[in-house]
Amino acid sequence: MEIRIGDEAPDFEAQAYHQGHIQTLRLSQYRRQWVILLFYPGDFTFV
Amino acid sequence: MAAVAVKYPAFQELGAEILAASVDSVKTHQEWHEKELSRMVKGGALYPMISDPEGKIGRLYGVYDAKTGLDLRSHFVIDPQGIVQAMEIVAAPIGRNVSEILRQLRALQHYQATGDYIPCGWEPGKPTLTKSPDASTTSGKVWEIWKPRNAF
Repeated sequence: MEIRIGDEAPDFEAQAYHQGHIQTLRLSQYRRQWVILLFYPGDFTFV
Repeated sequence: MAAVAVKYPAFQELGAEILAASVDSVKTHQEWHEKELSRMVKGGALYPMISDPEGKIGRLYGVYDAKTGLDLRSHFVIDPQGIVQAMEIVAAPIGRNVSEILRQLRALQHYQATGDYIPCGWEPGKPTLTKSPDASTTSGKVWEIWKPRNAF
């Protein structure tokens, strides 16, 4: 899968740790606001 | 991700949410948050930390690295209509520049609000290029209104 500028961001559902709680979220619930989706290689890494 | 946590209020002021994803479990996210992030940043990371086991979401965005089984360090700026407006992927040993992500967000918001073009190195307060209805009036004449020093 490849994303290009101008594409609709693929929706997903996922579990998240958020402010002390485990919750399920969907990307589409953030429609009508800007989202910065960040990926990173792993917890407990240096960079 | 601690640097992102520091700048999180600035993203919120711009009406943006941060979602951070790695292949780690939510339990590992919690441990990292409690043992390290909350020691580096007051209050820790207040944005959702997404668990992406097996890189399912990373694959959707083309950033899952099957060789390592990890999601590559990357970011996607998604507008309120759900459209990807900016993206970047960086090799794992290289940290990101959170200020640059903020700048991209501000630039995209400025463009969507005004229709003005955002020159190289633009920061809020610097000149933008007003879109002309007739391209021939600006074509070849940008040098008159924009100088390379404005990029730095």
